[in-house]
Amino acid sequence: MHLSASQITKKFAHRTIVNNVDLTIKVGEVVTIFGPNGAGKTTLIKILSTLLRPTSGKLEFEGIDAFEDYAQVRSKLGIIIHEHLAYPTLTAFENLKFFGQMYGVEQLETCCKTLLTEVGLQRFSHEPLHIFSRGMTQRFMIARALLHCPSILLLDEPFSGLDAAAKQFVQERIAQEQQNGKGILITTHNTDLGYHVGTRFLFMIDGELETVAHKDGISGEALMQKYEERLIKTTP
Amino acid sequence: MAFRQITTLIRKDLRLQFRAKETLALIFVFSILVVLIFAFGFGPQFPETERELGKLAASVLWGASVFAGIITLNRSFALERTHGALHGIRLTGVDAGNVYLSKVVSNVIILLLLEIVITPIALQFFGLFDDVSMGTLLKLLGILSIGTIGFCAVGVLLAGMSTSTSGGESLLSVILLPLVIPIIMAGTKCSVSLLSTSEIEDGSWLVMLIASSVVFLVSAYLLADAVIEE
Repeated sequence: MHLSASQITKKFAHRTIVNNVDLTIKVGEVVTIFGPNGAGKTTLIKILSTLLRPTSGKLEFEGIDAFEDYAQVRSKLGIIIHEHLAYPTLTAFENLKFFGQMYGVEQLETCCKTLLTEVGLQRFSHEPLHIFSRGMTQRFMIARALLHCPSILLLDEPFSGLDAAAKQFVQERIAQEQQNGKGILITTHNTDLGYHVGTRFLFMIDGELETVAHKDGISGEALMQKYEERLIKTTP
Repeated sequence: MAFRQITTLIRKDLRLQFRAKETLALIFVFSILVVLIFAFGFGPQFPETERELGKLAASVLWGASVFAGIITLNRSFALERTHGALHGIRLTGVDAGNVYLSKVVSNVIILLLLEIVITPIALQFFGLFDDVSMGTLLKLLGILSIGTIGFCAVGVLLAGMSTSTSGGESLLSVILLPLVIPIIMAGTKCSVSLLSTSEIEDGSWLVMLIASSVVFLVSAYLLADAVIEE
């Protein structure tokens, strides 16, 4: 299975945020996109998740037009973006149960309890989300994204604002989901973590996507140096 | 699947509203205040004819319901926009029409609860409670219900649009009130008639009330996808 974007462009007023992007995410690979603030990474993730319609271009999942048949495509995607995508006054368990019912997840109560245990939130499962710290929220977001067993995960800045332990947890979870056969897209500024979890690397600069290398073709240091050089070249 | 999703969404909406209680407290206090202000303004010597009293009570009831409705609609979508919960719902692949219908039903339930409480209070304050039979009271609540469905039908759609913009709360009042004039006019006329004569004298107002509510509900349902998905 794969998610395929071709010639995606998104303009807000006269400003081009995402420019002619071609990207394919296959199951079992972790695509990491590095880019500075304002490069268009979040907009691209929102387009890939079908939350935002592009100005032009095509998005397909297994040959299905994602914007024509969004119900079918969305059920195959797990998303983490900067928003919680949940209700702060409901508890973690209530939120998972509600979204599980919406997805039509079977054996829902068991599934919610298992996921909350896996992400280390079992003690807080009956606490409302608004009391959660950034790290706890990120753990909840992972549970929410995995609730319906999606084939593709789209993770926007999954490491931002997390302490070392939480970063370690997210890294391990990404590796585990890759082994489970999911296709994963990550956007990040963090070249170290991005390199560690990724299998294919791209830069996103000023809305344009540039293919860099596969993991076996580049070292972490070389990637970091290349990214810094690319950023310096872009800085006016 | 669609029915189960709608009932799940309605249960979630009601749970959020009853747990936070902010909106409920606000609309109940606001409506009672409206009734009190008019009762003190026109009292203690109220008009002697039942028709005049009926006009006063019906106008106050509809005024309180409409403005409480605007508060409820705004709050209902504000909860969805906070932390991107509406995006979360969209990502489940649910049909936008189902999200719209669930919002209409949950808002109607909350406003009906308000009307059930506020109607006897208003009638008592305007000295009409003893003159109104249980049958007339039920008919009045029926008229309010039909009006509330029409009001929420168009209100949910516009609240979905306005809350995504800056200054959305005031924008909703500006764009909603002119659109629901047929409902307010017909509903008030039917209510005045009921409170004055215990029956609806001119059936054309009732037809207009039902027809506008149905037209609003159907057309808003058809437009829901464009509003929720864009």
